[in-house]
Amino acid sequence: MSHLTTKFIIFLLGVLWTFSTNAEEEKEQWPIEWYEPFKTASEIGLTEFQQSPYLVDQDLPPIEERLPVDPIVVYPLKETGKYGGTAHIVNNDLWQFFNWEAALTISADMSSFFPNLAEWYELSEDGRSLTIKLREGIRWSDGEPLKSDDFIFTFMHLWHNKEYQSETYRLIRGVRAIKIDELTFRYDFPRPRPLFVNFVAQYGDFMIDPSHYMKQFHPDFTTKEELEARVKEYDMFNWTQLVNDIRREGSEQSVHVPTLRAYKLVEASPSRRKYVRNPYYYKVDPEGRQLPYIDAFSSEVVQEHEIMAAMASAGQLDFAAFQMRTQDIPLLKLGERNDIIKVHIWKRLHSSDVAIQPNYNHEDERLQELYFDLRFRRALSHAINRDEINDIVYFGEGTPRQVTVHPTSRFFKPHYATPFLEYDPEKSRALLDEIGLVDVDGDGYREHKDGSPLTITLEFYDFETPKGITMELVLEYWREVGISLNLKNVNGDLQRERAIAGKMEMTLWHADRVTDILFPLFPDWWVARSISWDRGMWNDWSRWYMKRGQKTPSVGFQPNPIWHLKGERIKGLGTEPPPAMRQLQDWTDQMWETMDEAERLRIGQQILEGGVENLWVIGTVGLAPHPVVVSKRLKGVPLEGIWGWDNRWTLANHPHTWYIDEGQ
Amino acid sequence: MSDVAQATIAPESPAQQALLTPSQLAWKRFKRHRLALISGLFLVILYLITGFAEFFAPYEKTTRNIKAIYAPPMSIDFFDTEGNFQFRPFTYGYTLTIDEVTWARKYIEDPKQKFDFYFFSRGESYEFWNLFKADFHFFVVKDEDGRLGYFHLLGTDQLGRDVLSRVLYGGRVSLSIGLIGIGLTLFLGVLLGGFAGYIGGFVDRVVQRIIEVIQSLPTLPLWMSLTAALPAHWSSIRVYFGVTLILSFFGWTALARQVRGRFLALRDEDFIVAARLIGGGNTRVIFKHMMPNFMSHTITTATLAVPGMILGETALSFLGIGLRPPIVSWGVLMKEAQNYQVIVMTPWILFPGLFVVLAVMAYNLLGDGLRDAADPHNIGGLK
Repeated sequence: MSHLTTKFIIFLLGVLWTFSTNAEEEKEQWPIEWYEPFKTASEIGLTEFQQSPYLVDQDLPPIEERLPVDPIVVYPLKETGKYGGTAHIVNNDLWQFFNWEAALTISADMSSFFPNLAEWYELSEDGRSLTIKLREGIRWSDGEPLKSDDFIFTFMHLWHNKEYQSETYRLIRGVRAIKIDELTFRYDFPRPRPLFVNFVAQYGDFMIDPSHYMKQFHPDFTTKEELEARVKEYDMFNWTQLVNDIRREGSEQSVHVPTLRAYKLVEASPSRRKYVRNPYYYKVDPEGRQLPYIDAFSSEVVQEHEIMAAMASAGQLDFAAFQMRTQDIPLLKLGERNDIIKVHIWKRLHSSDVAIQPNYNHEDERLQELYFDLRFRRALSHAINRDEINDIVYFGEGTPRQVTVHPTSRFFKPHYATPFLEYDPEKSRALLDEIGLVDVDGDGYREHKDGSPLTITLEFYDFETPKGITMELVLEYWREVGISLNLKNVNGDLQRERAIAGKMEMTLWHADRVTDILFPLFPDWWVARSISWDRGMWNDWSRWYMKRGQKTPSVGFQPNPIWHLKGERIKGLGTEPPPAMRQLQDWTDQMWETMDEAERLRIGQQILEGGVENLWVIGTVGLAPHPVVVSKRLKGVPLEGIWGWDNRWTLANHPHTWYIDEGQ
Repeated sequence: MSDVAQATIAPESPAQQALLTPSQLAWKRFKRHRLALISGLFLVILYLITGFAEFFAPYEKTTRNIKAIYAPPMSIDFFDTEGNFQFRPFTYGYTLTIDEVTWARKYIEDPKQKFDFYFFSRGESYEFWNLFKADFHFFVVKDEDGRLGYFHLLGTDQLGRDVLSRVLYGGRVSLSIGLIGIGLTLFLGVLLGGFAGYIGGFVDRVVQRIIEVIQSLPTLPLWMSLTAALPAHWSSIRVYFGVTLILSFFGWTALARQVRGRFLALRDEDFIVAARLIGGGNTRVIFKHMMPNFMSHTITTATLAVPGMILGETALSFLGIGLRPPIVSWGVLMKEAQNYQVIVMTPWILFPGLFVVLAVMAYNLLGDGLRDAADPHNIGGLK
C-alpha cells in the first residue's frame, strides 16, 4: 500500500470522525409524525407489505391477510430498521419495551390523544358518551379479529363484576359500555365525563381483553361445572384469581392468552420470560414492513437494583431504565467509556422525586393537630436544603421544587413550584417555636406541647427514584431544627397494606400524575379523592368522598384556619373532610364534568392554588435526570425523552421501531 | 521464642517460682505469646480511640462536607508541589469537577488550598459522651488564614461524611455490642450451666434440652426473625440493646455446657467434698473453691466469643435487619458499601470491613493467648 493511500484513509477517517461527533452534538429531532395522528398505508400510498424472515417458515396466512385493511404506519426515530435479533432485558423494563395497545394513544408532546386501535373517537356534545370505532381487520395474536365485544367484556364483565372488582372507582361507577356494532361501541356516563378520553389513552391497554378466549373463565359465559373444572385445572382458588393471573401474565398459563401487542409471551418461568413477535401485529413502517423489527426478547427476573445496574453497565442488557437511578449514572457511564453501552439521559416528569406526605387522618390526635397547622408544614419545608440534595444526589441537574404540575402543562404557573421552598432553618425554628413545640428535656429534639416526646415515623418503599438517600438527608435537616424523624424502609406489600389502611404517620412517593394527561383526571396530590398504596395523606376523607360522594353544599374556599372544623367519622365510610377539602373535592367533580376547556383550566388552577397555599405534601427535587441504558447494538431509542407513568415512559417513542444492528 | 522465655525465667530459683500466684503464672505464660500481646495492645488502643471517638475523630459522624462527595482518601504531605520540605505535615484540598461526559465527580488536589495539621487543637464542636460540649480534637487542619480546612484520611461517602470518623464512631458501637453481649452471655452461661452442673438431675436435664434446642436452630434466620420483631417505633438506642440481647440469648449455650462440665467434674473432686464435709455452704463452696478453678477458662471462652458477637452484629446490620441508621456501626457502614458501584468506583467505602477483620483477628489471637495462659497444665518453658 502506498504512502499516499494510507494518508488518504487517515484523512477520510478523520472526516468521518468529525462528522459523527458533530451529529452527536446536534440536538436530536423527533420525527414530526410522532406529534400527529397516525397515517395509514393508503394515505401514504403503500400497497405492498413485507414480513420478517422469522415468520416465513411458519404456517401462517399471507401477510396481507394478517394485517388490517388499512394498517397504521409508524415512523421510526431516524431511519427504518432491519429485522431480526433477540433483545435481553430485565422484567422491570417489560412495560417500557413492548408497545402497549389501547384504543387511543398519547402524542409525543403529551398534549393530545390520537386514535390507535380506534379509527376515530367522538365525545358527545353533552359529554355523556364516548363513541369509539375500531379499525377494520385488526387481529389478536391467534388470528381472531378484534371486536367491540373485547372492550365490553372487560368493562361490563370484569370491572363491573362485584366478585372481580369489589370496589368500583368513581370514574367507572355507573358508566356502561354499549355495543353499537361489531366494530363500534360507546361508553355512556351518568354525568359528563370528557376526561374519560385521557383515561382511555393512558390506561386503555387495561380496558381490553380477548373476550373470545377469556369467556371460558367467566361465570357469565360458562356453566358453573365447567368453570370449576378449569379453576381446578389451573390450580387456582376461584375464577377471579385465575383471570387476574393470566391477565397480568403472572403464570405459565398466560402464554395461551392472545394479545394485541407487538410481542406475545411464549415462555414464563419464575426466572425468565420469553416473548416473540406477534405475527398479526397491525402496524407497519413507512416501507410497508410489518413491525416490530426485533424478532424476540427475553426478560430475566431480577429483584436487586444493584444487580440490575451492574448488569446494565456491563452491557448484559439491551435496554435498562426503569430501576436505574440518577446516582448510577457515573457507573453506567463507565460502561459507556468501555464502548459497550450508551447512556441516554432522559428527564423524569416527576414534579418531585420525593413527595413527603403527612397523614392528616392519623389516629394520633396530637399528630393530626400538628399536621393541620400550616406553620408546621412550612417549617418542615423550610428546613430542607434542596440545593444540597440537588448537588449530592442529582449532580446539580435536578430542580428544587414543590409538588405541582409539569412545566409543559397548560395548568402550570411558575409560582406553583416555589412556595416555602427556600432553605431557611432559622425561619423553620421560629415557626416551630411559635407553634409551641419546644425542647423540654434538652435532648436536642422538640417535644409535643404537652411535653410528651415527638417522633415522626416515616415508612417508605425505596423504589424507582432516589428516596432512601434523600430521606437520609431530610432526617439530618429536620434534626437540625429539632424534629425527630424515624425512617423505616418497608417492602412493597407492607407499603400497600399500611398506606391503604391509613396507618402510616408519614410516607412518601414520587409525584407523577402531574401532566395534562393525568392531572385533571387524578389530582391526587391536592385533593382527597381516592385510596391508593402510594398515598397516605387522607384516606378517611377519600373514603368519605368515594362512598358518600354526593355533592355537598359548597362553602367558599378558605385555606388553613378552618382545619379545626373536623367532621364526624363514620365507620367504614370515612370521615367527612373539613370544608376546605370538601370544596376541593367539589372542584374536582366540576373539573371532571365541565365541557368548557377554559373553565377546566380555571378550576384546575384553583386546585393548584390550594396546593400552593396549603402545602399538602412537601416536595424536594424534581424534573431530575434519568439514565436510560441502551446497548451498543440497539438502535432507534431517542437520546432525550420524558420519563414517567403519565406518558407511559416510552409509549410515544414507539419501542417496536427499535432494532438491533450488530454492526461489524 | 522459648529461648527468650527461658532466658528471662531461668535465673529464678524454684523457690521464687513457687511464690508466684496462679495469676502471675498466667501472666508469665501470656507474655510468651507475642502475637496475643500485640493483639491485646491493639485492642486496648482501638477501644481507647473509639471510646474517645469524639476527640480522635476529625468530624462528627453525621457532618457532611458538601465539597467532597465520594471524595477519595487524602494524603498527608511533607513536601509541597515545589519540593520544599515542611516539618508540619499538611494536605491539599480538593477542587471538584463533574465530568460533562461521564458525570463522574473528579477530585484534583488544589495547591492553592493548603491545609496544615495542628495537633490537640480546636475544631468542630461536639458533645462528649452526651455530657458536655467541647471542640478539642486530636488534630485539625487549617489553611494559612487559620480557617478550618478539611481532611479525609479514608475518603468520604455518598453524603460527604468522613469515613474515618464514621469508622471510629461505628467501632464504639460494634466493639461494645460485643462486650455487653458477652456480659449477658457470661451471666446466663455461668448461671444456667452452674445450676445444671451443681444441682444435676431434673434441672440439668431441662437445661440440657433447652441448650440442644437452641443450638439446633439455624442462627441467622432466627436472628433475622427476632430482629424483625423489634417494634418499628423503637428508637435506635433501644434497637441497639434489643440486638445485643438477642445476640446473647443465643450465645450462652456453649459456655453453659462448659461450665456445667466443669461443675460436674469438680463436684466430686476430693477438695470440694472435703470443703463440703467440714461444713462449707453452697455459696462458699461455689465461690471460694469452684470458681477459681474454672474462671480463667470462662474468661478465655468469653474472649473468644466476642468476635462472634461483633460478626453477628455486622452480619445482621449488613443484611439491613440489625442496627439501622442513624446509628453508626461497622455493619451499618458495610451495608452502605454493599454494592457494585462502590467496588468499581469508590472502594474506600469498604474500609470498615478492614477494621472488622482486624478487630476480630485481634480478639481471636488474644483469646488464643489467654487460653494457653489460663491452662494450668500448660507449664512448658516455665520450669
